[in-house]
Amino acid sequence: MTCTGCALLCDDIDVHDGEVRPACRIGAAHILNRHQVDPMVNHEIVSIDDAIGHAATLLTDAKHPMFLGFGNSVTETQEIGVRLAEKIGAGIDTCSSHAHLIDDIIHNRVRTCALSEVRDMADVILFWGADPMNTHPRLLSGYAYYPRGKNRQHGWEEDRTAITIDVRRSHTASICKGMHKIVFGHEAEFVDALMLALQNKVPKTVYDSKQVLKLAGTLKKAEFGVIFAGPGLVESVPHDAIIRLMDRLNEFSDFRILPLHSQYNLRSIAAVKTAATVTTTDVATGATTNNTTNNTTNTTTDAADAREQQGVGTQTSKITLNSLREADCILCVGFDLISSLPQACDIDARIIIIDPNETLTAGCADVVIPCAAGGVDMAGTAVRLDGVEIDLPCIMETGQAGVGMPTDTPTRMSDASIMNRLLEAV
Amino acid sequence: MPGIKIDQFLAAPDREITVVEYQDIFQTEAALKHGKFSKEYQDLSTVILLDPADLKKIGASDGDLVKISSEHGTVVVTAKKSEGDTKHEVMAKEGHQGHPGVGYMPASVWLNILGSTPAPVSAKVSRSQQKIYTVSELIPGFKV
Ligand code: SF4
Repeated sequence: MTCTGCALLCDDIDVHDGEVRPACRIGAAHILNRHQVDPMVNHEIVSIDDAIGHAATLLTDAKHPMFLGFGNSVTETQEIGVRLAEKIGAGIDTCSSHAHLIDDIIHNRVRTCALSEVRDMADVILFWGADPMNTHPRLLSGYAYYPRGKNRQHGWEEDRTAITIDVRRSHTASICKGMHKIVFGHEAEFVDALMLALQNKVPKTVYDSKQVLKLAGTLKKAEFGVIFAGPGLVESVPHDAIIRLMDRLNEFSDFRILPLHSQYNLRSIAAVKTAATVTTTDVATGATTNNTTNNTTNTTTDAADAREQQGVGTQTSKITLNSLREADCILCVGFDLISSLPQACDIDARIIIIDPNETLTAGCADVVIPCAAGGVDMAGTAVRLDGVEIDLPCIMETGQAGVGMPTDTPTRMSDASIMNRLLEAV
Repeated sequence: MPGIKIDQFLAAPDREITVVEYQDIFQTEAALKHGKFSKEYQDLSTVILLDPADLKKIGASDGDLVKISSEHGTVVVTAKKSEGDTKHEVMAKEGHQGHPGVGYMPASVWLNILGSTPAPVSAKVSRSQQKIYTVSELIPGFKV
């Protein structure tokens, strides 16, 4: 079975007598999570049918609907969500700072690879603005550092060099062979300094040039280098600078980049949005993308250009109060808006939340619709952070306790069924 | 007046800091295992890691409550002496001298109250006599 606790989608999971093995503590807590809420309308408990009916009315009446999230939904739900957005003219924002890097990967603007290639070939691994020991706990043991791969038989002791680049000394940094500390406000300067150092030029920078030159030397010698890009990189360095750095690295060695995001199916929603014949508004950047199945690449590139011309250099797809104020109805799917932006609790827009878990957004929402969790009590497919499609069988059949699961687990409707009902009703 | 100390009437010294987000596996686990309204999640979320020099400047010790105020909001959390201090020798050898002027908080609504995280937020930190607010006390218009 597969764990959907993070975008690593570990597919070796077994559940016996309430024990989840060999999942990490996030995965085990995610699979056994019992904090579910009742369907609610205006903070009163109602039936699931009434909650869906009320949500459909709000969406039908909305003049400026906006959809947030979908990174924690199975691909099938995302596809129906995009059709619903198309039908009512809603914008979709995944609210993830990784959205633009994933777009660059999907459109081959940067080189990427599969996690199995990292395990078999990677000799230099950079964790940039990333702390997988706290976010993707099995990445180091499964792929990135400890395992002996086909061409890396000596594993981390001899065959791999792991380096962290971060604003703080993270837990991951404590096991790495090197750490470069980023200075606030000088994040992009580190990239510029490294670009010069790669050409054997001594950078004039707030950073220790000797250390940057040493890092450049290590990267140039890599046979197969990988950058795991965490939020700390994609939130602070413009995506065109990341593309230029990747191009420069590939002049000397073979370097790949992988996004290290937490939402388990973020990579898929980017592709689903791109493939759809739908106008989706990127809320964070204000850029409108008219995607069509025929000229997808061109329109997406235009949108990227438009973003740059509007001065949106850094790709923080960060939801803001101002962008939310333009909406009169916000549908959050697997995204806890109020936890990310608590100030949104008193905006005028009606809020609907569809989520398997207890959320803070439920405390401010007009409609709360609980749903099944992908890979736990509903089956589906998802795309791992390296682009590999993974099947998500049901760990627990909806409405009945599965192997080793507690017997009093309530029945939950899948978010795909809820989306379908909304699609029919609006 | 028994039990009342003179420094209670003086404004606690404050310090300008940049607050930066970090991820904590135990906090993520607590949100899933016990829920986002649980004491376990709150305890692991309402923490700020401060450099020993900053703790000293505001007259606080490890475990004291501190108030953090930005232009967007105010929260009260527990101050923890940064781990960097215990690894001081290793860090000094590597050229890292702690992180004065920078505080680290786990990603949560308590951090997001301060502003547009995950980008770093400018804030003031001082010792506090107030209590840590729960989610429902923290967010106006919130109903549980
Ligand atoms: S690393 Fe991620 S996918 Fe794997 S068990 Fe942990 S939470 Fe689940």
